[in-house]
Amino acid sequence: MDLKMKVNHLPALTYRFLKSNDSEIDEKDLHIKSTRTPEPEKIPAGVIVRESISEEDVRGIFAKAKAKIESKKTDIPGPNGDTAPLNDSQIVRTGMGVEIDKLMAEMDAEVMLITTKEGSKVTEPVYIDFVLKDGECALGSQIVYAKKDSEITVIMEYDSEPEAKGFLGIQTRLLAEEGAKINLIKVQMLSEGFVHFDDIGSICDDKAYVHTINMQLGAGKTWGGNRTTLLGDASTFDNHTGYLCRNKQSYDMNYVADQMGKKTASNMIFRGVLLDEAVKTFRGTLDFKSGSTGSVGDEQEDTLLLSPDVINRTMPVILCGEEDVDGRHGASIGQLGDDTLFYMESRGIDEEAAKKLMIRARMESIARMIPDEAIIVRIQQFIRTIL
Amino acid sequence: MSDNNKAVVDIDRSVYDIKDVENEQDFYRMEDGFTEDIVRKISEEKHDPDWMREFRLKSLEIYNKLEMPDWGPDTDDLDMNLISSYVRSKSDMKGKWEDVPEDIKNTFERLGIPEAERESLAGVGAQYDSELVYHNVKDEVAAQGVVYTDMESALTGEYSDMVHEYFMKLVPPTDHKYAALHGAVWSGGSFVYVPKGVKVDIPLQSYFRLNAAGAGQFEHTLIIVDEGADLHFIEGCSAPKYNVANLHAGCVELYVKKNARLRYSTIENWSKNMYNLNTKRALVEEGARMEWVSGSFGSHTSYLYPMTILKGDHSNMEYTGITFAGKGQNLDTGAKVIHQGKYTSSMISTKSISKSGGIGTYRSSVTINKEAKHAKTSVSCDSLMLDSISRADTIPGMDIRTNDADVGHEAKIGRISDEAVFYLMSRGLSEADARALIVSGFANPVSKELPLEYAVEMNNLIKLEMSGG
Repeated sequence: MDLKMKVNHLPALTYRFLKSNDSEIDEKDLHIKSTRTPEPEKIPAGVIVRESISEEDVRGIFAKAKAKIESKKTDIPGPNGDTAPLNDSQIVRTGMGVEIDKLMAEMDAEVMLITTKEGSKVTEPVYIDFVLKDGECALGSQIVYAKKDSEITVIMEYDSEPEAKGFLGIQTRLLAEEGAKINLIKVQMLSEGFVHFDDIGSICDDKAYVHTINMQLGAGKTWGGNRTTLLGDASTFDNHTGYLCRNKQSYDMNYVADQMGKKTASNMIFRGVLLDEAVKTFRGTLDFKSGSTGSVGDEQEDTLLLSPDVINRTMPVILCGEEDVDGRHGASIGQLGDDTLFYMESRGIDEEAAKKLMIRARMESIARMIPDEAIIVRIQQFIRTIL
Repeated sequence: MSDNNKAVVDIDRSVYDIKDVENEQDFYRMEDGFTEDIVRKISEEKHDPDWMREFRLKSLEIYNKLEMPDWGPDTDDLDMNLISSYVRSKSDMKGKWEDVPEDIKNTFERLGIPEAERESLAGVGAQYDSELVYHNVKDEVAAQGVVYTDMESALTGEYSDMVHEYFMKLVPPTDHKYAALHGAVWSGGSFVYVPKGVKVDIPLQSYFRLNAAGAGQFEHTLIIVDEGADLHFIEGCSAPKYNVANLHAGCVELYVKKNARLRYSTIENWSKNMYNLNTKRALVEEGARMEWVSGSFGSHTSYLYPMTILKGDHSNMEYTGITFAGKGQNLDTGAKVIHQGKYTSSMISTKSISKSGGIGTYRSSVTINKEAKHAKTSVSCDSLMLDSISRADTIPGMDIRTNDADVGHEAKIGRISDEAVFYLMSRGLSEADARALIVSGFANPVSKELPLEYAVEMNNLIKLEMSGG
């Protein structure tokens, strides 16, 4: 099949010449054969896994949250160039948008449901590993549903054979009920011959917490979306993303913290390195809806540019329809500072070694948050190999 | 704390809102709409040279082909078939204030323009509807070789070749729909040339007044500051409020040559039925500096993003702006900068205040091209929400194509802090005064960049009035 779709819509459009209002996936001759998420290696106590649930089931899981979202809508107009209506039909709004829903439906992708029992604090992570062979094209769809006051950690790893080519598209939707906590960790170490997308959409009810950690290290072309709706009062969203793009790799991302409840908090951190002819487009939005009184949001982007041929596009957006909020964004983009290099050289580390050291330090500052030493070691090895 | 205490009053516009009746005897008004026939008539009225007539017709063709952008404020209520492109007094432009027709003179007297000219300006141009009615430059400035004249005189007079060389080269009609419309029906505006090495110590000013209901103003400002020269140019604008839409689609082209400096200050106070779709652009050469100071208070709808192209090595720009969006206003403002030369630097600092249902959007772009080695940019945008029925959005964009650049960006959106109010109240201020002081402090980085009389006007425009405190 041929894939041609617009994804990662910026929540509020801007100048066309910036070429960042959305992104197009245009891939030909994909032979998608697998649409099933691999079974978790082990299912910890307190977790229930159901494979291949129906769309009706999906709608049922999110029905209450959807109704609550509708009840919170106000007459305050949206931003100029509002793109929200484009994705109105999604069951759960995701970062990449409705086209991913359509693709999953068209390909009849099986939806895996991972549920925790109410009040169950599951300390052992649920591991899902996608290991792809040369020529393999796959889709996977999952829902992580943390019931009231429960906790769960899901770690998803995407690997392939070295030099392999293929396609992997993932959509993960999360629902954290009142007081629930979800940690979702994704580590992508596909070979450069892969085209990849990873789409996340979350809803957090009262006092719920979602933490996503993304390590994007491989694949020739990657699209990532992550939209969290902080629906309930005092709900929280944290995100940590680390990415390393080299050669002609591209990484196009769209992150949105949609803050609807009172006293919600979002904190998004992005640390990346661009080498060679890599291209990165970052869209990060804090969206304070009317009624989100007492909410705070912060997004910080730190990008290291290590080649004269890289392209870095950054769209840090803050939308605000509420007075009593505090939203901040900071970006620092550039090469290694002369002071840093001088310090390193004075300690006998030459420029090349200093750059490698700084790349590893940046990536490990995110990787270290993963609660699994074996995965951290694999990330270190992967980075060492490609550098 | 009561919401009433947070209220900031709408601007007292009474001085701007006085409408002068324009009768047929004294005024000529072009029929509404934008057709080839109308464009030809304007060209004829203005005794255009052939190239300009052809330029206008070509621009109209482009205008008819281009679409409105999908990213900005809604302009559906702007019916172009109900806008007259050209309205002028039947009196010619005067070089002496006493010769200006009485009713027009009264309008500018009320706005304080002649007083400002006497006290603090090197020259003044006053445009009423589509044409300049008064233009004067002080003898000592003219003696330095500074040219400050209306665009029509420049187009056909001594500087016609220069106008031909520069006119709409920086903002071509293909740039966007309203740039094309401007190319087709432009009228009025100023031409300034500052010769090499000349430093004009006190500012020049143009004031644009759109008095006619349902009319458009399309003035063109072309400024060339030659090598090593220095100029401060001030632009002011206002209009009385009508129940029908008015349109302002002016165009400002600024050429800042090697080692020159230009400061361009604007206090925009159009009435709240105005669609302000204005385009401003500066081309900055080696070692030169461009400074923008911009206050946007009026208009129903604004699209305004002055662009600076840092073409020469070591050129730099600074943009300082404030936008105040009140009831019924949708003000989409900001700045754009393109770094082309090496060692270029830019600094954008903006403040935005939203109240009473107003929508304030800060929108910007910073582009650093591959060849712009050692470029530095710093962007800072702060928004203040004064109630929960308004909007304050921040939509910046950065496109960086070299690693040899230093890019910093920070944005903040928030409210007046209760702690700050409490602190000031503990020092003896009333709550109303405390809030007023905080808002004044918020706007201070912009007002301190303006000449004193304009800073006073700006502070009046954002004056707080508390009640129930």
